[in-house]
Amino acid sequence: MSDAPIPETTPETPSGPFVYDYTTAPNRQVVLPKTVPLPGYRTYVAEQKALVEAEEAKWQKQLADFDTAKAKAEAEGKDAPKAPVKAVAKKNDTDMVFPAPTEAKDPTLLHLVNGLGDKVEEAFEQAGELTCQVAKEHILEALRLCREDAQLKFEMLADETATHYPAAQGFAFSVVYHLTSIARKKRLRLRILVPEGFEPESATQVYPSANWMEREIWDMLGIRFANHPNMIRILCPEDWEGHALRKEYPVVGWGQRDIDFREDRGGMLNRIAMEKAGQLGINLKRPKAE
Amino acid sequence: MGVMQPSALEQILITTKVEKVMNWSRATSVWPMTFGLACCAIEMMAAGAARFDFDRFGCGIFRATPRQADLMIVAGTVTYKMAPTIKLLYDQMPEPKWVIAMGSCATCGGPFDSYHTIQGVDKIIPVDVYIPGCPPRPESLFYGFMKLQDKIMSSSLADRYREIFEEVG
Ligand code: SF4
Repeated sequence: MSDAPIPETTPETPSGPFVYDYTTAPNRQVVLPKTVPLPGYRTYVAEQKALVEAEEAKWQKQLADFDTAKAKAEAEGKDAPKAPVKAVAKKNDTDMVFPAPTEAKDPTLLHLVNGLGDKVEEAFEQAGELTCQVAKEHILEALRLCREDAQLKFEMLADETATHYPAAQGFAFSVVYHLTSIARKKRLRLRILVPEGFEPESATQVYPSANWMEREIWDMLGIRFANHPNMIRILCPEDWEGHALRKEYPVVGWGQRDIDFREDRGGMLNRIAMEKAGQLGINLKRPKAE
Repeated sequence: MGVMQPSALEQILITTKVEKVMNWSRATSVWPMTFGLACCAIEMMAAGAARFDFDRFGCGIFRATPRQADLMIVAGTVTYKMAPTIKLLYDQMPEPKWVIAMGSCATCGGPFDSYHTIQGVDKIIPVDVYIPGCPPRPESLFYGFMKLQDKIMSSSLADRYREIFEEVG
């Protein structure tokens, strides 16, 4: 492993989308991929509005251009230019359409939003899945409500995981909790947005099954959880350097895999053989060709 | 008419070298260690079971401890976390010992060109036979094992020491 300091700025243009070979990129520089933006209802609505406004502005500009051109042509006594036609958006009839997020209408989700009040940042439905984004300081209350409320009754934490968003503003990770209600046959996703260094409350206090999943998040993404009973790595060895699922982590690691135990063995054998041969007075040396 | 008749002594005795007898007994009773690390181990189990029957080669007694084993079939992906354990188990095996790297993972890292996978078990322990494939079929394992038998038959008792003393000079 080289001890070259990690530079803070990106050097020259990389030769590919990911510089994953640290031997050809000795300064361990990794080019961050553009990540998919965090899906959410508000951002989606804002995006759609911006799109419509851009279309409208384009159309208005076309009209204005046409007016000036017409006036110019009249003044010069030429034929009038052709009137512009408003472009109609092509209908996307493939079945690969991105399911758009919609407003929360499901009674379960609405009940949860009512119960949590202003601790909810956002709640929406997408492709039939319920998502509720909670303020990161109040995740424990949200989980407790989901588990204990008679109308929610989410008994099971099916999964807990996180994603890294290196390009995002104001947060670095999203931690998601997938809850399942066996009694009510419902699923729900809770989400918090966590900046670098923030320690969310551990879900083990409500769902004991979160123990290993939170250890995995710590191992892979480097988010520590407060009040976790055993916050140590679970997959990588204890002495591992870095967190492998962060986007800036090189695919081949930082040289951990380039180990070599065989040199050591050769030395050991050599010593043992010399000792043994010496003790027994045997000459094991093969006569060399002169 | 020029054809030598074997003497009475030669009719009841076989003459051979001690080394050859040693090699023959070693090559025909290689006890492997059960050492499955990933999906290749399934194929190794198939090779050991009734349909393919590894025992035909004198190699069917899979030992659960390295101290009774002669052969380590590294069948599967070698991770960074597992590497010290493999080294330890190899060191616990008594001499003479052999290693077969089974599958692309154990020979060169296979499909896992990633941070946690050692790119070939030969970075940790010396390997005698490499078997390509993902996974290799039991027939490939047999072929690799027969190659190992050839290697054992052609080896000399002083081989281990020769290498070392050539290096030393
Ligand atoms: S070589 Fe293929 S079958 Fe064998 S352990 Fe690797 S991935 Fe599995």
